[in-house]
Amino acid sequence: MFLAASVAILVTMVLALARALMGPSVYDRVLAVNMLGTKTVLFLAVVAFLYERPDFLDLALAYALINFIGVLAVLQFFENRHSGDASKEPEKPKAGEA
Amino acid sequence: MMTVVFGIFLLTLLVITAVAIVKEENLFTSVMLTGIFSLLMAANFFILDAADVALTEAAIGAGISTVLLLGALALTPRFERKGRTGRWLALFVVSLTTLVVMYATFEKPRLGDPNAPVHQHVAPWYLEQTPLLIDIPNVVTAVLGSYRAYDTLGEVIVVLTAGIGVLFVLGLPGAVGDRKREDLATGRTYLSHHLVPQVVGRLLIPFILLFAFYVQFHGEYGPGGGFQAGAIFAAAIILYALIEGEREALTVITPRMLMWMMSGGALLYGGVGIVTMLLGGNFLEYSVLAANPVTGQQLGIIVIELGVGITVAGVLLAIFHAFAARGR
Repeated sequence: MFLAASVAILVTMVLALARALMGPSVYDRVLAVNMLGTKTVLFLAVVAFLYERPDFLDLALAYALINFIGVLAVLQFFENRHSGDASKEPEKPKAGEA
Repeated sequence: MMTVVFGIFLLTLLVITAVAIVKEENLFTSVMLTGIFSLLMAANFFILDAADVALTEAAIGAGISTVLLLGALALTPRFERKGRTGRWLALFVVSLTTLVVMYATFEKPRLGDPNAPVHQHVAPWYLEQTPLLIDIPNVVTAVLGSYRAYDTLGEVIVVLTAGIGVLFVLGLPGAVGDRKREDLATGRTYLSHHLVPQVVGRLLIPFILLFAFYVQFHGEYGPGGGFQAGAIFAAAIILYALIEGEREALTVITPRMLMWMMSGGALLYGGVGIVTMLLGGNFLEYSVLAANPVTGQQLGIIVIELGVGITVAGVLLAIFHAFAARGR
């Protein structure tokens, strides 16, 4: 059962990775990274039970707590950028910015 | 078998991500992909049963390296500069190195081979003697803190040197360079105008700090130790800086105190070595610290892990503040 769950999580990780690689907008990538972080937490938790080492759940906990900070830093970074020079972003379609 | 399948799968994803990082010219996308790289790497360490390493990767890679890379990106252009010179030469050198390394792997023992040299040489001795000599369940901590204490001291000094290098270039208002702490932009950051991140962040900070202390002092029993705990502690303060503003964070832990943390942790570690010498042992021979040698070992490991944690937290925070202060 744990094996099936971990394989399913790996497949979801591939899908998120595909989105992160293809883009096209920056926000797709941010969302994909966040998604991949969540999947990693789940993967670690499931594999900890699969290996019968539930004390390794500490790691999943560390991820769950810290992953959040990276996303906040990204938000902050974009806000600082926008107040400075928002013009130099050709990759991003203007419609999807709000 | 399962480990091998998972390993190959995750390593394939890792290679794809690495190639994408190299090819990508938008540096912000590269930073995001670096985050993915780190997540995949940690999952990889985890399925190989290396929980301590995976926890380090989790603590550094998931939060702090993204924050630091974004801080650096705020000071640089967003796109990679086009450079065409020497590309073929670089490709040739990299391909040649890859081939040599791949050739070398043919000599490597198979994954999990019981006859591999690593399982024959010192590892059995560590596993047998740790319960007798140090009596802690996590052998990794015993190896890092006691058997290889010189190496770990060296690592702490390397971390300290890296921190000094960054501060030397960027400066830190209030401690390094002639800028004052008051120069920093006061007031609220972008995120403090948003209720949800602020409330959630304020709720999370105490728990992250508690978890950092748990990892610090539970390192003898489970995965963890000074390096991981220092990084998690720094992450909590960085979260505080993100939602409340740079200057508030520098009021909680002042730049001067950061300097003391950076050097104090390394001094604490080295000081334990001096104390053991004064008590008649060798440098970092913890057995002489208490009447019972086993208790002495445990005491020594706890103190040096604390030194490691303080230095790592101080260095990471100082680097973060150095970048953030420049970005304003």
